Order: sequence, then C-alpha cells, then structure tokens
Amino acid sequence: MLFRILKNSFLKRPKAVFLVFLSITMGAAVATAFLGIAGEVSHKMALELRSYGANILIEPSAVEGGGFLREEDLPGIKTVFWKYNITGFTPYLFGIAEFSAGGKTERGVVSGTWFNKGLEVPGEETTVQGIKVIAPWWDVQGSWPAAADEAIVGAALARRLKIGVGSEVATTVRERTQRFHVSGIVTTGGYEEEQLFAPLVTVQSLLQRQGKVSRVLVSALTVPMDDFGKKDPATMSKDEYEKWYCTAYVTSVAKNVEEVMAGSRAKPIWQIASAEGALLKKLNSVMLFLTVLALGASATAVSTSLMASMAERSPEIALMKAVGADRFQISAIFVGETLIISVAGGVVGYLLGDQLAEIISRTVFNSTIASPLWLFPTAIVSAFIVAIAGSVAPLRRALLIEPVRVLKG
Amino acid sequence: MNRRRWLLQLVLRALAHRKGRTVLLLAVLAMASSLATALGIVSTSMGKRVAEEVRKYGANLIVIPESARLDVGSGGLNFGVVSEPAYLQQRLVEDALARSGLKAERSFHLRGALHWKDADLMVEGVNFADIRRLFPWWQLKGNWPAAGETVVGSDLATRLKLTTGDTLELVGKSQTLRLRISGIVSSGGEEDGLLFLALPELQQALGLDGQLTLVRLMVTAGGDSLKKSAAALQLLLPSAKVNEVRQTARTSEGLLAKVKLLMIMVTAVVLVSAGSSVAGTMSTTVLERSKEIGLMKAMGGTRWEVMLIFCGEALVLGVLGGLAGYIFGSAIAQFITRTVFSASAEFIPWFTGISLGVSLFLALLGSVGPMIAVFRLDPVRSLRGE
Repeated sequence: MLFRILKNSFLKRPKAVFLVFLSITMGAAVATAFLGIAGEVSHKMALELRSYGANILIEPSAVEGGGFLREEDLPGIKTVFWKYNITGFTPYLFGIAEFSAGGKTERGVVSGTWFNKGLEVPGEETTVQGIKVIAPWWDVQGSWPAAADEAIVGAALARRLKIGVGSEVATTVRERTQRFHVSGIVTTGGYEEEQLFAPLVTVQSLLQRQGKVSRVLVSALTVPMDDFGKKDPATMSKDEYEKWYCTAYVTSVAKNVEEVMAGSRAKPIWQIASAEGALLKKLNSVMLFLTVLALGASATAVSTSLMASMAERSPEIALMKAVGADRFQISAIFVGETLIISVAGGVVGYLLGDQLAEIISRTVFNSTIASPLWLFPTAIVSAFIVAIAGSVAPLRRALLIEPVRVLKG
Repeated sequence: MNRRRWLLQLVLRALAHRKGRTVLLLAVLAMASSLATALGIVSTSMGKRVAEEVRKYGANLIVIPESARLDVGSGGLNFGVVSEPAYLQQRLVEDALARSGLKAERSFHLRGALHWKDADLMVEGVNFADIRRLFPWWQLKGNWPAAGETVVGSDLATRLKLTTGDTLELVGKSQTLRLRISGIVSSGGEEDGLLFLALPELQQALGLDGQLTLVRLMVTAGGDSLKKSAAALQLLLPSAKVNEVRQTARTSEGLLAKVKLLMIMVTAVVLVSAGSSVAGTMSTTVLERSKEIGLMKAMGGTRWEVMLIFCGEALVLGVLGGLAGYIFGSAIAQFITRTVFSASAEFIPWFTGISLGVSLFLALLGSVGPMIAVFRLDPVRSLRGE
C-alpha cells in the first residue's frame, strides 16, 4: 500500500517532484563542490604563494665569509622530516670573474647552479630541482642551458657586454678561462641581472671548488607563524620543543634542513615568509566564510522548497486522515517520499558537485582535484537531513489540522 | 484607473491572505539576493584587499643610478658591490615622482662605507618611518632608533660582537658619528650584514648631501599595469634606471588574477544553484494555484490579465526581497571583510541594482515559467482539480 501511494505520488505530479528534486540536487552539488575544494584551496593557494620564491636560505655557519657547504649533502634535504613540505631547492656557488666578449671586459659575478636537474635520492621519488622550480618569475629569453658549457646571462650584464643569445662569453677566474655559450638572457629586476648563471659542475671546476656550494635556497610549504611559533626554541621545555619541531613553521623547517647540511645555518627569508603567512591566513578564512555561506544558503534553499511543496498538500493529508490513516502512517508516506527524492538528489548532486570542483580547480589552479570519498555518503545524508528539517514544520502543522475544515475548503 | 486599483488590490489581498507562503517566498528571495550582494561585494573588494596584503612582499619598483648595478632582491643571493658607487639626486627623484602623479610609497636609501676601529662597515642611510611601512618583515630585537641611534644587522652584530646599548664611533669622509645601538635586525636577506642609520646623518658623514644610491617604490597600480608606471617614471628620470622587481611584481599580478578568478567561479556556482532552487520554490507555489487560475479564466479573465496578476505579485515580492537582500547582504559582506581583513567593506550603492535584479529575475522566472504550462490547462479540468 505504502509503495503504491509513493509510486503514484511521484508519477501523478512529476513537476512538483522535479522542482524539489532540482533544489536538493543543487544544494547537494554546492555542498559537495565547496567541501571538496575548501580543504584543497588552502593547499593550492599555499603552493601558489611559493612562486614568490624561496623562503629559507642555507649558508655556511662560519660567520667570517668564506666557508662552503658540501654538494653531497644536498640530496639529504629530500629525506628530512619535512621533506614533503619542501617544494624545491637550488644550490649556488659564487665567484668574481672577468667576463669578456667581443673585446669588452667586465667584472661580475659568476654563479654555478642547477637549472632543472632531476635529483635521484635512494628510497625517494625522483624530483626535479633547480631555479626553474623555485623562481618562476625569471623571464628568460632564449632557452635554459642544456649543456655544461651553456649559460644564462643577466640582462644588465648582457647589455654592458653587448651580447645576446647565441654569443660566446669568456669567463676568467685566476688565470683559468672557461668559454660559455649564451643560451638565454634573464630579466628579473633584481641582482640576477648582474650575474652569469652556468651549470654548477662547470663553475665548480672553474673556481677550483669541486663538490662545494656557497648557498642553498629552499622553498618550503609552511604554516603561518603564531605566538607559539615566535617563541625562541632555546627557551622551550621538552614538550614545547617537540610541538614546535612538529609544526611546519618556517623556523622549524629551517632547523630541520640545517641538520642535514654539515656546517650550515639556515635562516628564514622573512620578506617572503612573513608576507606569505599573513596572506595565507586571510585567504583561508575568506574561503571558510564562503563555505559556511554557501552551505547555509543551500540548506535554506532546500528546506524552503520542501516547505513550499508540503504546504500545498494539506487537503491530501486531511483526506488521508478522513479515511482513517494515523499520524504514523501519514508521516511514513511523507518521510518515504523525502527519502527517495533526497537520495536521488544527493547522488546526482554529488556527481554534479564533483564536476564543479573539478572545473573550478582546473580553471583556477590548472590542476585536478579528487573529491574525498567520505563526501559521497555525507552529501546524501545531509541532503536527507536538510530535506526532513524543511518538511517537519509543515508536516506537523498538517497533522494537527481538522480534516473536516480543510476538506470543506 | 478603477481597473488598475482593482488589480492592485487583488495582488495585495492575495499576498496578505496567505501570509505563510508570502513570508516564505520573501525569505528565499531575500536570501538569494543577499547572497548575490554579499558575494559580489566580497569579490569586488577582494582584489583590493589582497592587493594590499601582497604589498607586504615589499617594493615592486626600484630606481637606481644609470651607471649603477643592481644588487637588490630577496634572499642572500647578492654578492656585494663590484662596481664604483654612483648616486641619484634626491631632489630630482622627488620632483619626478611628484610630476608623474604616481601613487607610491617610497623609501630612500644611501649605501656607503664608514670606518670603525680598523675595518670598513657597510652602512645604509634610511628613513626609519618608511622602513616600517615598506619592510614589514624586519624582525627587530630592541627598539626602533631615535636620533643618534642605529640598528645593526644580526650577522654583523654576531661578527663584531655588538649588542644593544653599545656605542659605536664611526668615521666618515667629512664627519665622525657617535651612535648607540638601539636594536638588532634580522630579515634573512642582505639587511643582516648592514648597519642602518638615519639618512641625513649618513649623508652628512659621507659628505653626500642630497644623494641616494637606491629608491624603492611600492606602486599601487590602479588599473595601469606596473610596466606602464615604470616606463612613465623612466621618461621623467633620464639619469636613472627604473626597474620592475619581477619577483614581487609579476607574482603578485598572477596571484591576484587567480584569487579573482576563484571568487568569480565560486560566486557563479553559488548563485546559479541557489537561484535555481529559489525559482523552483516560486514555481511550486504557483503550480499549486492552478485552481485559482482556472477560476480566473472561467470568470472571463484573459491570459494577459491572469499573467498580470501573477507578475504583479512576483514584482511586489521581488522588490521587497531585493531590498531586504541588499541590506542583509551588505551586512554579511561587512562582517566578512571586518573579520578577515579588519577593514570595513566599501558601501557600494549600485549593488542595490544587482540585488533587486537578482530577486526580480528569480521571482518572475519562478512564476512566469510554470504559468505557461498552467495556461495550457482547460479551465474546467483545473477547476475540477485534475
């Protein structure tokens, strides 16, 4: 009997059912899309902010200048406790050199570095490290160096030497000369424009510093500094220190990488780190507000549309009462109806919301997103709860009505 | 006239008679339009707010003497000075900035060497008030310096074993300075190896009155791109080089675009879904009135007249819902901007139009759409309730 009533209730008034279904679907879609991206957005934004450049600098701990770090320690950076937070790093080796090209001679800085190096670490996935990863704002005309004798020249240096892509530059350090083929010219608006960047190995042999680097820039995902993070680790108790070490503050990640580089000290580059923390905090709270707003709105929309559709059905309820249905039976019919619509709406809404999250993530961040599986049951159950919440009030009112008065009209 | 009043009365009575339904519809319409208003205001002001936040990354333009070399940037990648110093005239730069009409925060820097004991120290003359605005990332232990005081970079302090409260005697080309250390600064950048003092004091000590080595500008690019601002300023300052700091400038532009895009997509998704749901609710309430429509038609009302009555109702609901939505939505936007950015959201009057538009559109869509279906009904059948 119940099934026949339910079946007919769907078949005889398809429009009304469709409208409620539409509203539940939309609500579930928005809820799924938002819950799906909310967590992801903060991660994506953090990654996005990493394009401002490295936030940790590792240098030799010897204060008196000089001093070098060992290149062989570098792969260790990908094995530290916070290895998954480290999005990239690049070593540099500096030296003052005489550059000459076409009869002009200039003093300048020669930097050996990694541009785009595949780094293999035993037990870890192979990653790509180098300038291309941590400094996406570099505007390179021409191409990145591919061979050991190719180099990128800063725009200001190139202007003074009157060279362009394809030229040759002779670089002399203490009577040793290395000829570089210029593969690209870089414009950054910073100190990079005054330097010549060449592969690390070549510069190491040019400067006679095999296996040495002078600095390492590390780009790491960190959490914003709070009051606890600002405390001096030296004054912390054991428990506090553990908590500090296990939170991805920029200071604790720096401490972490410092430990794998022999004879080094790592310091946060505060220009990047502090601005990033502040920005991330704000973007996250905006996202949180929007999620709350969207969830609230879809819940309201769903329950009001249920209210509207229930309100028109008081004659039906009165008739049921008149033919002898008790409150339980009437409730069963309506709850059953709501259950069916909201499960269907929840499923369709979940699929739709999943697509929406995907579209948003692809257009904004150029990346795919996987909605967590727990969202599926959550979408359906919450659709049902919201729908029931919307129909409770009109149902209760309908149950209280006097059949005679309603049927009279 | 009479007819119009009759129509008006019919509409108002219909709304007043079924209070529950009217309140429900008003609520959903107000909700949808307040959502539109709140999201709209937050998205439009978001660009501005994030732009302000992004300024914490530091200057986006720098001005240096034409013959000088660039040695600025974040992180410790600069490798000291390898060229002869060159200077900018402070007066010329100020003139050019005033004439260009550029809205920019500025900070003037003069770098030089002062003799201390038997070593040369790299010192920088700055205006500390500007530093506090343009370099919010400085981590200062101690106090900001007053006159006759100085701030020392942390690396330099460790190297020379200096602490807060020490007094230094620095010998310049034309004057000797006695400075007390008021604080130690660490930034993770080149500042760690420098000693900072007030710009005029250094200019006098070095005998370089009115000279600068570097000007940092934080341009709030209002619509115009930073590149254009740089080019405009370059024209006014032929003796200098104006450089765009790509690390902060370009990255910020990219980030802003992403944040805006995200906000637009989110707004669109929420509006479409809430809108369709609201229009659906409206339709439900119209569908249930097929009996009423049948009666009107049976009494000789034309389609046009019946339509007019329903549109009138939708209009009244739409306007009221839109107004309520604007007020409510502005309050939400205000709340969000205040909590997150601790700034008050702009009051944007033309959003009243958007709010009213959204509300009216949904109300009419929700009532006219199903009406067309209802019209096809035979009055007799709909009166019989089939």
